[in-house]
Order: sequence, then structure tokens, then C-alpha cells
Amino acid sequence: TERLSRPEKMPKLLRKEATTLTPELLRDMEQKLSEIKVPIPGDPPHRTDDTIDIANLPPSYKVNTPREEQLLQVADNFSRQYSHLCPDRVPLLLYPLNECEVPKFVSTTIRPTLMPFPELYNWDTCAQFVSDFLTMMPLPDPLKPPTHLYSSTTVLKYQKGNCFDFSTLLCSMLIGSGYDAYCINGYASQDLCLMDLTREVCPLTVKAKEVVHAEEKAPPKKYAIKPPRDMTSRFEQDQEMKRQEEIKTAEEKQLREEEERLMEAEKAAPDPLHGLRVHCWVLVLSGKREVPESFFIDAFTARSYSTQDSHFLGIESLWNHKNYWVNMQDCWNGCKDLVFDLGDPVRWEYLLLGTDKPHLFTTDDEDDGINDDDDDVENLGKEDEEKSFDMPHSWVEQIEISPDAFETRCPNGKKIILYKRAKLEKWAPYLNNNGLVCRLTTYEDLECTNILEIKEWYQNREDMLELRHMNKTTGLNTDYFKPGHPQALRVHSYKSMLPENDRVMEFYQSARVDGLIKREETPKTMTEHFQGRPDFLSYRHINFGPRVKKLPLNSAESNPRPIVKITERFCRNPAKPADEDVAERVFLIADERIQLCYHCRNDHITASKREFLRRTEVDSKGNKIIMTPDMCVSFEVEPMEHTKKLLYQYEAMIKLKSEEKLSRHQAWESELEVLEILKLREEEEEGHVLTISIYDTKRNEKSKEYREAMERVMHEEHLRQMETQLDYLAPFLAQLPPGEKLTRWQAVRLKDECLSDFKQRLIDKANLIQARFEKETQELQKKQQWYQENQVTLTPEDEDLYLSYCSQAMFRIRILEQRLNRHKELAPLKYLALEEKLYKDPRLVELLKVFA
Amino acid sequence: MNRLCQSMEPRVMDDDLLKLAVAEQGPREEAGQLAKQEGILFKDVLSLQLDFQNILRIDNLWQFENLRKLQLDNNIIERIEGLENLTHLVWLDLSFNNIETIEGLDTLVNLEDLSLFNNRISKIDSLDALVKLQVLSLGNNQIFNMMNVIYLRRFKDLRTLSLSGNPISEAEDYKMFVCAYLPDLVYLDFRRIDDLTRELAEIKHQYTIDELKHREELTQAQWEEAQAQKEELEAHKAAFIEHLNGSFLFDSMYAEDVEGNKLSFLPGVGELLEAYPFKDKFVIICLNIFEYGLKQQEKRKMEIDTFNECIQEAIQENQEQGKRKIAEFEEKHLLNLSAIRDESEMPVIEMKIVECGEDITQLFNVLMTLEMQLVEQLEETINIFERNIVDLVGLFIENVQSSWCTMAQCRDLESHHHEKLLEISINTLEKIVKGELDEDLPDDVRALFVDKDTIVNAVGASHDIHLLKIDNREDELVTRVNSWCTQLVDKIHTDEIMRNRKRVKEINQYVDHMQNELDNLEFGDILD
Repeated sequence: TERLSRPEKMPKLLRKEATTLTPELLRDMEQKLSEIKVPIPGDPPHRTDDTIDIANLPPSYKVNTPREEQLLQVADNFSRQYSHLCPDRVPLLLYPLNECEVPKFVSTTIRPTLMPFPELYNWDTCAQFVSDFLTMMPLPDPLKPPTHLYSSTTVLKYQKGNCFDFSTLLCSMLIGSGYDAYCINGYASQDLCLMDLTREVCPLTVKAKEVVHAEEKAPPKKYAIKPPRDMTSRFEQDQEMKRQEEIKTAEEKQLREEEERLMEAEKAAPDPLHGLRVHCWVLVLSGKREVPESFFIDAFTARSYSTQDSHFLGIESLWNHKNYWVNMQDCWNGCKDLVFDLGDPVRWEYLLLGTDKPHLFTTDDEDDGINDDDDDVENLGKEDEEKSFDMPHSWVEQIEISPDAFETRCPNGKKIILYKRAKLEKWAPYLNNNGLVCRLTTYEDLECTNILEIKEWYQNREDMLELRHMNKTTGLNTDYFKPGHPQALRVHSYKSMLPENDRVMEFYQSARVDGLIKREETPKTMTEHFQGRPDFLSYRHINFGPRVKKLPLNSAESNPRPIVKITERFCRNPAKPADEDVAERVFLIADERIQLCYHCRNDHITASKREFLRRTEVDSKGNKIIMTPDMCVSFEVEPMEHTKKLLYQYEAMIKLKSEEKLSRHQAWESELEVLEILKLREEEEEGHVLTISIYDTKRNEKSKEYREAMERVMHEEHLRQMETQLDYLAPFLAQLPPGEKLTRWQAVRLKDECLSDFKQRLIDKANLIQARFEKETQELQKKQQWYQENQVTLTPEDEDLYLSYCSQAMFRIRILEQRLNRHKELAPLKYLALEEKLYKDPRLVELLKVFA
Repeated sequence: MNRLCQSMEPRVMDDDLLKLAVAEQGPREEAGQLAKQEGILFKDVLSLQLDFQNILRIDNLWQFENLRKLQLDNNIIERIEGLENLTHLVWLDLSFNNIETIEGLDTLVNLEDLSLFNNRISKIDSLDALVKLQVLSLGNNQIFNMMNVIYLRRFKDLRTLSLSGNPISEAEDYKMFVCAYLPDLVYLDFRRIDDLTRELAEIKHQYTIDELKHREELTQAQWEEAQAQKEELEAHKAAFIEHLNGSFLFDSMYAEDVEGNKLSFLPGVGELLEAYPFKDKFVIICLNIFEYGLKQQEKRKMEIDTFNECIQEAIQENQEQGKRKIAEFEEKHLLNLSAIRDESEMPVIEMKIVECGEDITQLFNVLMTLEMQLVEQLEETINIFERNIVDLVGLFIENVQSSWCTMAQCRDLESHHHEKLLEISINTLEKIVKGELDEDLPDDVRALFVDKDTIVNAVGASHDIHLLKIDNREDELVTRVNSWCTQLVDKIHTDEIMRNRKRVKEINQYVDHMQNELDNLEFGDILD
């Protein structure tokens, strides 16, 4: 084979001298270390062969094709040369056994497949699916690659696998969706190998960093005024700055020390097998699918890592569906220094010649893109001659995931992942009857005992609840809703569901008629914020006093708390002059006072104010005082004549009084609404109805019933049609002895009989119509005769009766005549049609052929 | 009714009548008592009803400045008059009177509802000022010409019209005609116009209406064009270079120049003009000046805009600061006041009151300092701006007067032309003297060639007139630019002074009010 034709390259592969350990020492140590048994925590679910039903597997799983055999020989040869030339390196993973105990080359186990789900088109969602869908099993021997590598179909069926199974499946999916992906056999940290995320921060808890936009400072304009002269001392400022900085650095130092201490505490005990644990993960090379930079994906956790990440400690080999490469670079520094230029034969020793990565990356690849295409075209021709051997097609059946399984995702629709100070639980939609799909519990300590907060994500809830955030330290619950809640609720944060407690409700303002955005409550106050109201109200604050008396519990009347003060603020109404546009209105209900504060004019710094005393008093004579100048104290920016008038003030006060009443009513309504919302929320929590999309044919009971009913109707219709197709030969066949084969004579007779019978029927029918026709005509004639005889004595009513009878009779006669004519026309045609049908009848066709 | 009233003595709209009406129609009950106590000023009245008063002449209404609604129906009024001051009027009812012509409504631009029902009007006109008119009632009058309806097309908001009881409403085509010519009308003679009628009317009168529309559009277009031209001219005037974008100046030079026009008949002058296209060159120079002027105008405008923007920003910021200070003060002051009210011991109260007084004084000082600071800053900026704008104007004038694309060039051109013309004239004279001239000259031109002095004088006079025109134009430009500049600077200064005074007044007023309030409190406490 071609492998033998260039053995002179092999010596170059010996690179391990660079390490400080001699091969002997290393081997020795390896042996010693392999004796150390690591107790695997828990009882890992072991997949044993007897659980796999191999009987139904297709033949490609059970035998090797000649080409595969040839490939195995090549691989065997390669392996022998490799062990000869690199005696200090571990044997390669080339052809592990599959589920049927047949050796299969690793590349052929990769079956590139594009999944029919648009969600699985990108690498991140693919990886997430694989990690969710399969249950992780540790390698039987953490220091050696497995002896068996099952097909992805089997792995998907049983929903569990080791890192090699995970990576093979993910690699198949990624290559299928166009990525340049490879499986890597190498060494990784303990955390990765055991899928231990407890030292990782949960990605859901990481807050997105706020991008601080540097505010662009406009260049000072030509006539910008100069700032007033600064009289403060520069020296003092400097000193102050220095002092501040010192304090800051000290604080920072302390913080850093604290952090370091924490980090130290979190660090795990050093792993005795560090660097020896075998792991398999996926490499995605840059280039295809607009991947800007090569990266690793750990198939267990679906996380992506840079190729320099310290979790990855070395690479033995890597492969895709076309070829197999052995790493010839030194891994003393993990994967940090590796170059993933698979076209470089010095760094990567390939197994098969001439597959797709033959070029070295050239430094001046200016016309790389264009040339690639040309090369491909050229290579098409060359490939046949040059390439002595091509990778055989994958032996694995097409990878299929049913929509059901895709939706359920995790095995049994459930998965729990432990992170550092966090626990993430996932469920399939509709699995929990309250719509819960995800729960993230955050803990205070590393041992996960003290709960800090819980976040629960919901789906398909009819009350549109999307996320519930429970803070255990403050006891504050926050519910987030999607648009569509009956009360337009957006956010609801509360400590208790009892009314008149601390609570904040935010609303989808566009869905509300009153433009309410937010309502905050404390036991004594209620604050409402509005937007976009035609009366420009933007804010209302209500202070409540203590309840005056206790009503009996069972009374139906509500007992609202007395209102002490209502503060309302308004936006500027551009249609009114500033002096008449109220900015703030305070009803001091207990004091019987009303304070008004107007908007400030554009070129002013003071605003008008007015205060009304609405006390009604009686003067010395016992008359009611309507209005006195001291009942209205006002400050006006520009004093106006008409506002000084008592009449004006009186009218203003009357208006305010009615508005006060209105505001109080609105406050009361707000209180009622809160009660209503709370009640509704409680009902929704109890009921937790889930919505089902009308497109969800499986779950939507209604549409299912409808569909089934439709099917039933269709079926019945079909049956009825079957029945109506009567057998015209049946009465004649019945006369013949049953079970006997028809003779030709019988057939002819049968046909003739049938035809003559039909002829008779046609004649009978014609006669019948004729008879009716005659009868009708006779009757008419009789009637006419009778009429002529009795014409003189007839009353007008009788005459009318006679006339109507005549017209009806004439109508009947005409119809009968028409029918008769039509029958005469059609009868011969019908007769011929039957004759032809009889000739074609399957029972007679053979026997009548001769005569036809 | 009318007849009945006529039998009585006509009443005069005097003060008593009006007072009575106002009092009767004023507020009721408690408010009425207050109104009685204080008396109602005529200018505060919003609506006035004066029906069935047998009034002959509208009078004495000038005080009702803010009147919105006036009812003068069922009187014997013969002329619409005395309504000039009621510019806020929205609703005017003059039905059942004896009015013969529509007049005296030219100032009522806010009028929306006008009723002239049952009068003696024969022609609809003089309503041009009523641009907001929505309801017009002209029933029971003597309008006989259908063309009156076309007059109503100009009221874009007119929705309700009544014309029944007029001679025109007798016409067979009346309804269709009105519907067709007033397509926006909704109610005619108290009835809603249905869509079918409207459609029919439209079809029936389509041609005439299309023609009418076409004419209206044409006039509209003409008007717009004239307006645009006017605006352009205004813009040029603002740049002080109006009429320089063409041959206006050149033409005006020859407009009053009798001799020059005569001389142009001389042989050779035609060739001279051809060889040296005097007019073309002149116009080119004018155009140069024009463009330069526009550019300069742009520059000045930008300068002013930036200046205004900066000044506004500074003032805004200062105001914000002031507002903040006041808000801070008010918060503290309110607390203090309530503390004083709650306090019972006299010395403590006095001490607190003194404290409050100090707070007020401090606020006053702070606000005044802010204001003074702003004044200083603004003054500096204004001075810079003034210098810049004066420089800019100076540069403009200098360039127009004496640089490359300028009046000086015009003058040179003219002098050159003058020399050539003189030469030709003298040549011609010589020829005439020698009797060599073969061409016929008009008699009045020939009259110039009596002797050398006459012809030189004539040519000189023409030259002088030309130069005078150029000088005048230049002077006009310079004076106007200069006066504009002075006015601008003056205005900025006065504005700033006004602003300052207003602010100081405002601050004083506020502080006085606060102090008063405090004093009152003191006073009240002492009384207690």
C-alpha cells in the first residue's frame, strides 16, 4: 500500500524527547498509575451488550464489506508501523468493535446527517441537543480509549453513551450541516471527563455585561459661554484626589485578596491522573459556515472552548468521515501550542492519501478562495488516478430523531445539571402540568445547602407566566409575564399575595385603556405611573390612613381605608399656557386643603402656586361664607387681574372639589383592581391551564376529535358507496347452482337473460309513464266536460277551483309527456351501455370474448 | 314678531341694557352672590344674549373683548356694525333682523357659526375673513342669483348651509347645484345630504365644475408662484443683493438716459457693442456680486444661528440651576414652616422665623449671583459676536466696493464704454462735418451733432447718469447692510437687558412672596 511507499517520513515523528521524562520512565509511571483504581462516584449506568438488541440491526452492522476489510488492513498496517516508529506512544484508536462485535474503522462510524429540524442547523443548538438528549456514562477505563464504539443509531435509541459516542453523534450532525468538524481522541481534565460542572459558573447566572457607551462630547461651539472662574485651589484638589486613590487601591487590594482566598477554597484537590484521562471531543475548524476561528466543543456539556483552553491536555489523533490524522506535535503544554493545519504532514500524520486536506496553508493565500474552487475541479479528474484508496461509505444507518423525541429532548424529558453554586433542572414542555420547563436554583455555598434564589421558567401557560424569580433571602417573588395576560400584567413582584402589602405591578401600557405602567404598593401608600393619557396625568400617589372601624368579616361591603392625601402630577399640556396648566395637584383630604402647583414657563424659574382651603365656615350672623379672599392663597409669576376675583377662585374650587371626588373614586377603583388581579392570579395558579397551539396536532384534543370525526364520516361515506354499487348479475347468478364455474353457454344465456330483462324493464317503465299520461288526460277531459255542463250554475269559487285544477293537470301532463319522450330517447342508449358493461364484466369477459 | 316690535319704540343698546343682560345671564346661586358682590367686568363675559330687545343699532359692545357667543336675533337691526372688537367671537346670531347687506364682519376671523336667517340679504359676499366658518344660515332672504353659491366654495370648513326660503331655492336645480358646487357640505337646509344625491349632482354638473376647478387651480398656482417670487425677493433683500441676478441694473442705467439711447443709433456703436459685449460683461459682474452676496448672507445666518443656539443653551442651563435651587429651598422651607406651626414656645418660634428669613435672603443671594454670572457670561459672548458680525459685514462691503467682483469693476467697464462711445461720437461728428456720413440718422440724434461740445456733453451726461445709477445701487447696499447690522446688535443688547430685568423682577417677586408669607405667619402667631 501507499503507506509502505514512504516510510522514510516516520522517524520525524519521534518528538517526545523534548519532554523531561524519558519514555521508559513514562511507561513505568503509566503502569503504576494504571494500577490505581479510581472509585467512580455512584453506580454508573453500565450499558451491557445483552441490553442491546442486535437481532434487528441491518447487515452492514454485522459484516464488513470487502472495501471495509481492505481499509482495516490499511489501518492495521498503519498501526503496526506507528507502534514500531513511536514505541513510546499509546496505541491508536483505529477500529474499535461495534455493537455486533465487528471491528469498524472510526471514520466510517461518522455518518454526516443534516437533521430536518431548523433548530439543529447551528453548532451551538446541535451541541446543546446532543448534551441534553444523551445521558453521560463514564469510560469503563478512564485511562484508555474504549474497546467498543457503537453506531449513533444505537446510541440515540438507548439515549446514553460515553464521550466517544457523544462526539461521534455531534460530529455527524455538524458535518451534515456543513461544518468542518472532527472527533478528537485525547486527554482532558477530570472535570471534563466526568462531566463535572460543579466548578463552572452556570451560564444562566452570568449577567450580560452592560456596554457602557462613551458619551460623545460635542466640540464646544463658537459662542459657547465660558464657565465661571473656578476659585478653588488646585493643590487641595490634587491632594484630595491622591487620598481618594490611596483608599481605592487599598480597597481593591483587599478585594483581590478576598477573591484569591475564595478561589483557593474552590480549587479542587489535585487530580492524581491529571493528563492521563482519555476524553473525546469535537474540533470545528475555521473556514466553512463562516466560522472565523477554530474551536473545541465538549459534547458532554455543549460548551465551546478556545483551542488554547487549559482543560484540554493533549491530542492523540483526530478524524472525520474522510480521513484519520495522528498528532505529531508535542503536548507538553496541553493543546496551547498545537497548530491545526491538517495539511502539514510534519505536524499531522495522515492515514489515507489525497482526501480533502492535502494543501499546506500558504502564507500568501490572497486568491485562496478562488483557487480552492479550481483545485476542486481539477482534483475531480485527478482523484481517480492518484487516490489509491478512498474512505468507504459509513456503515451506520441514517440517523433519525423523531419529532417526539426531539421535543422531549432529555431522557424521560428530565435532566439535572449541577454547576458551581447552582443547580439547573430541565423538563420537556407539557411534562409538568404547570408548564415548568426549567428551574435554576442558586446556592450561597459550594455545598449547595443554602438556597439563595430560584428562577423558574414556564412555557405554554395560559396566564402567560414566563419566569418566576424567587429570592429566598429577601422573600421577594417576581413574576414575569409575556404579553397577553387578561389584565395586561407584565411584572408582578410581591412578598405575599395578601392585599395591602408591599408589591409592584408593571403593565403592558399599550394594552391598557388607562395607560397605567406601574403600580407600587406599600401598606400605607399606593403609587401609580401613567403614560400617554389624554388628560396628561403621569403620576398618582395615595396615602392611606388607618381603618376607622372593623367591619364584621362576612359583610359583603368593602371597607376601604380612608384616604389622607392624593398627589397627582401631570405632564405639560402644550395646548394650555403654563400658568393654567397644573403640574402637581395635592388633595390634603384630612386637612381639607387643596394645593396646586403649575408648570413653569419656558423662560422662568418660578412657577405659580395656589392653595385652597375648602373648609366651609359660618360667619358671625350665621350665614354660610361662600368664599373669602383668605380661602385661596396664591402666588402668581405674573399676576393677572381676573384670577384675583373671588368668582374665579370660587369656580376653580368647585371644579377642584368635583375632581377630588373623581380622584378618590379612581383610587378606590385601583384598590379594587388590585384585589381583582390578586384573585385572578390565585385562580390561575390553582388552575395552571396550558395552552396548546392549533398546529400541535398531537396534543390538541379538539382538533384530534374533529379529525377523527372527519375520518369516520369519510369511512361511512365510502361504505355507502360500496353498497350502492349493486350487482346487476346477482339475481341471474342466483338461479345457477352455486360454486360452479360458468360455462360459455351459461354465460351467453346469462347475458341474454340479463339484457332481455333490462329491455322488459325499460318497456314497462315506458308503459307506466304512458298509462299515467293517459289517465291524467282522461281526468282532465272529464273535468272539462263537467265544467261545460255546469258552467251556468257554478259559483266563482268553484270556477276558480276548476281553473287551478286545469292548470295543474296540464302541468302534470306536460311533465309526463316530457318524461316519456326522454325515456324513449335514453332507453336504447341505456340498453347499449348495459350490454357493453356485461361484455366487460370480469365474470363473463373470458367466456364472451369469442363473440365480441 | 318683527312687525310687533316695529310698533314699539326702538331701544338703544346703552350701558344699562347691557349690565342688566350680563347680570341676568351671569352665574347663579352662590356664585351669583359673589358676582354681585364683585361686579362683572364686560371683558370677562363670554356669552351674551340680546334677543327680542327691539334693538335698532348695534352699539357699545367694544368692551366685550372676550365674547365668544353673541345673540342679537329678533331685533330690528338694519346694519351689521360695531362688532370690530369682538375678535374672539365664535357664534354670532343675527337672525330675524332687517339686514340688507353683509358687512362689518372682516375682523371676526374666529367665527364658526353665523346665522343671518330671515333678513333682507340679496347677495352673499364680504365673508372672506371668516376662514373658520362651519355653519352658515342664510334662509329666508332675497338671494336670487345662483352664482352666490360659488362664492361659498372658498370656505373649506363649511359643513352646514341653509338657503331655503330664498328665490334661488325655488329653482328646480337648486339642491343639485348646491351639492355639486359645495362637495364638502354635509347638511343642506337642515337635512343630511345623502350619497346618492351627491353622486347625481356631481355627474350632472361635472363639466362646469371641472372647468371651475381648473380655473381655481390656475389662480391658486399663479398665486403660489407670485408668493414664491415674493419670498425669493425677500430673501435676496435680506442678503442686500436684490435685482442683481440679471440685467435690472443695466436696464435701469439706460431707462432714464435719453442721450445714451439716442447715441446707440450711431454707426459703429453696434459694432462696439458686438466687439465688447458691454451688457453681457456688466451682467456677469452683477451676477458675481449676487452670488457673493448670497454666500455672505449664508455665512451671517450661520453665525447668528450658532450664537442664538449657544445663548439659549446657556440660559436654559442657568434656568435649570435656578429651578433646582428653588426646589431645594422649597423643600426645606416647607419643613421649617410646619415645624414653626407645631412649635409652641415663643422664643423658639422667633428663632426659627429668623432662620427662615435668613434662608430666604440666602436664596435671593444665590439666585442673584446666578443671574449676575449669566449676565457677565452673556455679555462677553455678545461682545464677541458683535465684533464678528461687524467684521463680516465690513468684509462684505469692502469686497463689494473695491475688489475683484465688484461695483468698481462696473464703473471701469462703464468708463471704458464711455471712452469708446466718445471716440465713435467724435468720429461721427467729423464725418458729419465733412459730409461723409452716408447713413441716415434720426433727426433728434442728428440734432446732437451740432458741434463738439454738444456731443461731448451728451455723451458725458449719459456716462454721468450711468455712474450715478451704479453709485446709488452701491450706496443703497452699504447703508442697508450697515443699518441691518446696527439693528441686529441693538436688538441683541435690548433683548438681553429685557431678559435680565425680567429675571430680576421674577426673583424679587418670588422672594417678596416668601417673605410676606413668613411675615403673615409671624403676624398670625402673634395674634394667637
